[in-house]
Formats: sequence, C-alpha cells, structure tokens
Amino acid sequence: MKYVNTGIVFQEIPDEVTLAINISNCPCRCPGCHSHYLWEDIGIPLNTDAVDAFVDQFGSDITCIAFMGGDAEPKGVEQLAQYIHEEHAAFKVAWYSGRIRMPAGIDKTDFDYIKLGPFIRHLGPLKTKTTNQRLFRKRPDNTFEDITARFWEK
Amino acid sequence: METKTEKFPETENFGRKKRDTITKIIFIMEIKNFTITKRDGSKDRFSLDKIMNAIVKAFESVNEPAELGTISKIISHLDIQEDIKVEDIQNQVEEALMREGFYKVAKSFMLYRQAHSEDRETLAKLQFLSEYCDSVNAATGSKYDANANVEHKNIATLIGELPKSNFIRLNRRLLTDRIKKMYGKQMADHYIDMLTHHFIYKNDETSLANYCASITMYPWLIGGTISIGGNSTAPTNLKSFCGGFVNMVFMVSSMLSGACATPEFLMYMNYFIGKEYGRDYYKRVNEQADLSLKKRTLDKVITDYFEQIVYTLNQPTGARNYQAVFWNVAYYDKYYFESIFGDFYFPDGTKPDWEGLSWLQKRFMKWFNQERTKTLLTFPVETMALLTTKDGEPMDAEWGEFTAEMYSEGHSFFTYMSDNADSLSSCCRLRNEITDNGFSYTLGAGGVSTGSKSVLTINLNRCIQYAVNHKMPYLQYLGEVIDLCHKVQLAYNENLKELQSHGMLPLFDAGYINIGRQYLTIGINGLVEAAEFMGLQITPNDDYLHFVQGILGLIEKYNKQYRTKDVMFNCEMIPAENVGVKHAKWDREDGYFVPRDCYNSYFYVVEDDSLTILDKFKLHGAPYIEHLTGGSALHMNLEEHLSKQQYQQLLKVAAKEGCNYFTFNIPNTVCNDCGHIDKRYLKECPHCHSKNIDYMTRIIGYLKRVSNFSQPRQEEAARRFYATA
Repeated sequence: MKYVNTGIVFQEIPDEVTLAINISNCPCRCPGCHSHYLWEDIGIPLNTDAVDAFVDQFGSDITCIAFMGGDAEPKGVEQLAQYIHEEHAAFKVAWYSGRIRMPAGIDKTDFDYIKLGPFIRHLGPLKTKTTNQRLFRKRPDNTFEDITARFWEK
Repeated sequence: METKTEKFPETENFGRKKRDTITKIIFIMEIKNFTITKRDGSKDRFSLDKIMNAIVKAFESVNEPAELGTISKIISHLDIQEDIKVEDIQNQVEEALMREGFYKVAKSFMLYRQAHSEDRETLAKLQFLSEYCDSVNAATGSKYDANANVEHKNIATLIGELPKSNFIRLNRRLLTDRIKKMYGKQMADHYIDMLTHHFIYKNDETSLANYCASITMYPWLIGGTISIGGNSTAPTNLKSFCGGFVNMVFMVSSMLSGACATPEFLMYMNYFIGKEYGRDYYKRVNEQADLSLKKRTLDKVITDYFEQIVYTLNQPTGARNYQAVFWNVAYYDKYYFESIFGDFYFPDGTKPDWEGLSWLQKRFMKWFNQERTKTLLTFPVETMALLTTKDGEPMDAEWGEFTAEMYSEGHSFFTYMSDNADSLSSCCRLRNEITDNGFSYTLGAGGVSTGSKSVLTINLNRCIQYAVNHKMPYLQYLGEVIDLCHKVQLAYNENLKELQSHGMLPLFDAGYINIGRQYLTIGINGLVEAAEFMGLQITPNDDYLHFVQGILGLIEKYNKQYRTKDVMFNCEMIPAENVGVKHAKWDREDGYFVPRDCYNSYFYVVEDDSLTILDKFKLHGAPYIEHLTGGSALHMNLEEHLSKQQYQQLLKVAAKEGCNYFTFNIPNTVCNDCGHIDKRYLKECPHCHSKNIDYMTRIIGYLKRVSNFSQPRQEEAARRFYATA
C-alpha cells in the first residue's frame, strides 16, 4: 500500500483536526473522480514506520488520522488502524472508503469514523443532501451513528 | 569641443545684426545634439533661444536695458552639459546674473521661477483632482497612503488628499532640520537619500500627529475631556458615559495618525451599568428596564447603547479626512483581568467586578457578531487576551471555550495568548511588555497604556539585495541602516518633545498616553521576499529560521543599545497596506528581484497553497516572532468556518507553537443586489442567488469590503490562498 501525499483537513471529519493520508492504487474508478492521480499504484510505502513518522511530525497538533482510500487492501488499512490505536492511542482513526459496505472480515470498531460509498456524480458529494455517501461515528458503546447530516448544516 | 557657426534662427528679441554676435558666444557650446532633461524627466533639444528670452524678460521686468554684450557675458558663464536639468540651467542663470552684479534682475528672475513653480504645483493638483474624481474608489485614487478605511470618495476625502504632499515636505523638513542639529548635515542628507531611494520608508508622513496609542481612560473618568481641550465633565451615569465615550474617542483619534485602543471600554461600561442597575444586573437582564411604550428590557437597553457607540464610531470622521477612527477594544479572561485590573479602584472606591464584566464581554461579542450580518461594521477591532498553561491549555477554561465558540459562529477577532500576563496586545497588533501593573490614582491601570510614537520601516528586500550585489555581508549593511533608523527616530522623538513642551500634545499631558510607555518603532517589510532572493524556502525550516532570527535579532540588538530611561524601541512587521505595494513597484523599477506585486506582511507567502494550517502556526511561532517585540499578526485565511472543537484544538496548537497573536479570516459574502450579508465565503448570494457579490475580509488588520481596497490590494486579495479546510 502506498500514499501520494497528506494534508491537514477540517471538513472531512467534523470536530477533528485531521491528517489525511491520500492512498494510491484506488480500485473504485468513480466516474467524475476528483482525485484521478490516485488511480495509479504510485507513491511512498504506507506502513507502521510511515505512521510513526507522521506522529513524530505532527504530534498533538492533530487529533485524528484518516486513511483516504486504500480499498485495494482493506486488511492493510485495518492493521494500520489497529497499530495506531495500540501505539498512539491519543489519535482517532478514520477511513474514507469508496466501497458501498464494509468489506467482509474487517472489524469496523477498529475505526472511529468510517465513510462509505463511491462518488456518484448525480447524487453528489457528502455536502449535498442527495448524496449516497455516509459518514459514521463510533459511539462509546462501539455502535455507529450516521453523522452525514453534519455536512448539510449551514 | 566643436565650434559652432551654423545659422541661428530669427527670434522675437534679436534681429539679424545681433545674430552674428551671438554666434560668437555659441562656439562655447555644442548645440546641435545637446539634450536637456525636462521637469517630467523627458528629454528635449537644447534651445539657447529660450534661455535668452527668459533673461531678456527678466531685464525688461525691472526696466534694465538688455544690452547684447551683457546677455552674452551672462550666457558665457553657463556650463551646459549633456542631459542637464532645466532647474540646473536656471540656477546657473541666477548665479551668472549675480556674478555680473544684476541683483535686481536676478531677484526678478527668481520670483518669476517661483511663480511658475507654484503654477505647476497648482496644475499638478488640478490634474490629481480630476484623476481622483475618475478613480474607481478612494483608496485607488489616493496618491500617498492609500487606505481602505475610506468607503466613498467625495469632496471631504478629496480635501484630505490635496494637502498630503505638503505634509510630507513639512515632515521631512522638520525631521532633517533636527537630524542636522543632532548628527550633522551628512546624516540628514544620508537619511533623505535612503528615503528617496526606498531603502527605508517613513510611515504616516502625511500626518503631523504621533502614530497610535492604547489609552487609559482614567483621566477622562476623573475629569472629563476638559484637559484635552473639550468641555465635558466626568461621566456620571451610563448615558453620559456612552455619549461622552464617543466624543472622547473622536477627540483622541484626531490627535493620532493611527489607531486608538480603549482596552478599558467594557470594564468602565460595566461599572456604570452596575451603578445604575445594581452590580448583579446581569442576573436580571430580561426584566423591563424602561418606562417607555417600548418597555425595553435591561438587555435591550444595554445593546441599544452598544448600537449607539459602535455605529457612531464607524461613521466617517470629519477631522480625519473622512476615515472612521481606528477604534480597538480588548477582552480578557479572568486571569488577565486580575493581573491588569486587580489593583484598580473606581472613583466611588469600588473595584471592577469580574462576573459582570465577563457577562458584558460575552454579550458585546455576540451582539457585534449578529450586527455584522446586518451592516458591514469594521470597528472596533477586537483582541481577546487569554492566558495559557505551559502545555497550551487556556487557564480560564470558560473563556478558552467561549473564544472557540465565537470563532465557530463566524465572528472575526484577534486572539492574544501568553503563558505569562507580562505582555498584552491591544492596539491592532502592537504588543507591549507590561512593566507596571500597578494602579495609580492619577493614571489608572498601568498595564493598558502603550503605543507607538512613530514607525520607520526598513525595506529588507532592497537592503539585502543591495548588500549582496555590492559584495557586502548583508547583516553588516543592515546594521548601518538600522543604526540610521534609530538616529532618525531619536530626532523624531526630540521634535515630539518640543511639540509637547509647547502644550501641543494634551493626550500626553493629561495622562491618556504615558510618553514613557510609548515606543519608537522600527518596521520591517519585504522579509519573505529577501529570503526568497537568498534562495531560501519559505517553510518551517532551519535555514529560513536562521535568516529570520539573524535579521530580527540584529534589530533587537540595536533596540536595546539605543534604549534609555526615556526612550524605548520595538520592532514590528508592519501591515503595509499601502507600502507593501509601493515597495514591490519601486524595487521592480530599479531592477531588483521582486517575486510578487505586494510584499507580504507575514512569515509565510499568502498565495502559497502548499503550506498546511499547522505550518503557518509554526511560521508565526515563538522562534520566528521572538525578536518582533512590537508584534506581528498571523492571518489564518480559511475558506470555510471550522467547528468549536476544531478551533479549540487550533488554539492549543497556537499556544504550543508560541504563536501569540492571530486571527482566522474567512471572507464574508455581501450581495451587491439584495444587500444580504453571509458569514460564509460563497460564490452566489444564498438569498437572491445573484452572482453580483462582494466579499468582506481583512485587508490587513481590519475588515473591509474588497471593493474598498486600492486596485493593487484588490489584486493581492484575489491571489490570497484561503485554505480549503
């Protein structure tokens, strides 16, 4: 699994200051995709060393680490999520997946936020009320609530 | 030199006979390909005719016979060289006339020249007048210090613009005369040379008044405005406080060229509300407080006073060329409040009440934020002072949370954070060390009084390029420039003292401003551009940091060296609303490396989209701003508002990085068609869906409609990168 670049983002995960890691080799191929550059298998290896380096770099400036994509290797994303929760427990972990549902064999409670759904142009992105995409947040009891409506607030 | 014998054209005053004689004298000069430099800098062919005509006219005007021999003799004294300036030829004619003993003629010639130069000046003013009338807005029309704090151009703003060039001349003369007295003519000439070649820039040269001040209102509270030339006595109730406050701020501002901060405004207002409605009034604000048919609640009474004060102070002001006063206020958390006002006593012997003030501060912020969706209100510029723990948590959790809440509701204000209440920013960005927190029965709270008497700015980009191009170590060259700036500032200070000794500065005499707490400020501009010239990356990296620290550390070294018990110096990264554009233009014209049309007022590049928000906090963090004793403000330009939790996290980041002064800047949308104001940065009006929209953003320290910015600043605003959060 490789990533191309990162960014500090605020809109993707409500109430968090998030390090977004843009993962390449995306299998979803959504028509109208805004991140065409992530289709190829390019970039820098994303592993536990890379995660440690991010934590060193950003420390407590960020509150959340988000994997943007990685649908070609869901297991790899899950393992990194587990690693962060074990080794760097201060951070929340989010996954922006383009899949319609969680892949089999992945424990969703390894994530604090999960976005599901491919980009479908006529339904629009998370910000439009007609969107097919959903963002879920883990509750303290490990159940998930749909917080997509947060994107529609003024 | 080639001898000239060519035929000279017939002139009005000289007939054919005389011409031969003239040819005799012409041989001393090359005429054919001679060019002279006209006043506007353009070149023209030299014409002996014109000179002779002028001399003959001068003779005739005093009824002296214009003998041909005499004229020839005078002309033979002239030393005409290629590209000589018209003025220099005329100077030589004056000298030649006197050398030949024609003093009356020389006098007439000089008076004639003077009359012409006055005519030219009037013509230039007429031309300016018509250009100003045709300019798109007041800031673009302004020739000398474009300023977006003037919303509409009209006869009043034009009246303010016209004498500006005279003020500049007068100020330069006052200053150079003083420099001559203190350091000799050479230093005075050197100053003018550095100024006219744009190595340094004297801010606010178009005004006579000292720059800006954070005032204590205590003298007004005790004695009204009489001591500063007004006629009102001390405020005695809420109504006279609110009315009198407005008048007092107008009076104070008319004696300053820059901002006026009133950090005690809400604390005093809280006192007067308490006197009238009880100290615990804030627990009963929903009760009816007036007997009019409107049956207003106490809350309405209070917010009506806010409205009266804020709207009045946002009006264009007659005494300030139709600019609104640059009014600033401060909010405090509990710890700052205790540190600054802990020893304060009101005239009735009571102490300020934190619980009431805390309520009133919150009420004012909420009201002001709401009001800004109805009208574009620029003032007051607000600063929230928060004390933090060493690990970046606000000590006053309630106010830390409230600060984040107000940002998330779209309110735009500055935050000043410190882990020690030994400093405060209350005047746009001006930071001061609080040396005396004590309370005095004549001066009030010591901590709030500060300001800058005068700002003299170093154009770092030009200075450093000049040094490098001339193979000098740039810090050595800068050292010389910085030293000059300190001497000039000391000269300015002497002039100020003289004005004061003649009773011209009542704000100082009456104790509104403590002259001992006012700084002489060394401004900097073009820092980022100079770093780019040195090949540095404008990101958080050691080389850039080293560069910044080297320069700012050097300025601080001189600031300390020149400090006495009477004068203090500080260093400020100036907002450069106007000069940021001018420096870029001048430097480009003179062949320097100029990477953008407007020099930055930040440690980062405004149009750079690769830096993260965290990077920007780092670039305005402690290691970078350490030597900027006079302050700098980080403008965090964002495309969208964040949530309260996210702002809380960013406040922590700022505290941890040691970025002590910042604001979040999300352009507000104003619809030009229906007038709707929206706190968001939108592409179309959400109300009437018009795309004819304008934005309200911080040009520098204050919020204004982008269409009020000067043309070059509008272009800069369009290039700004607002982080897609």
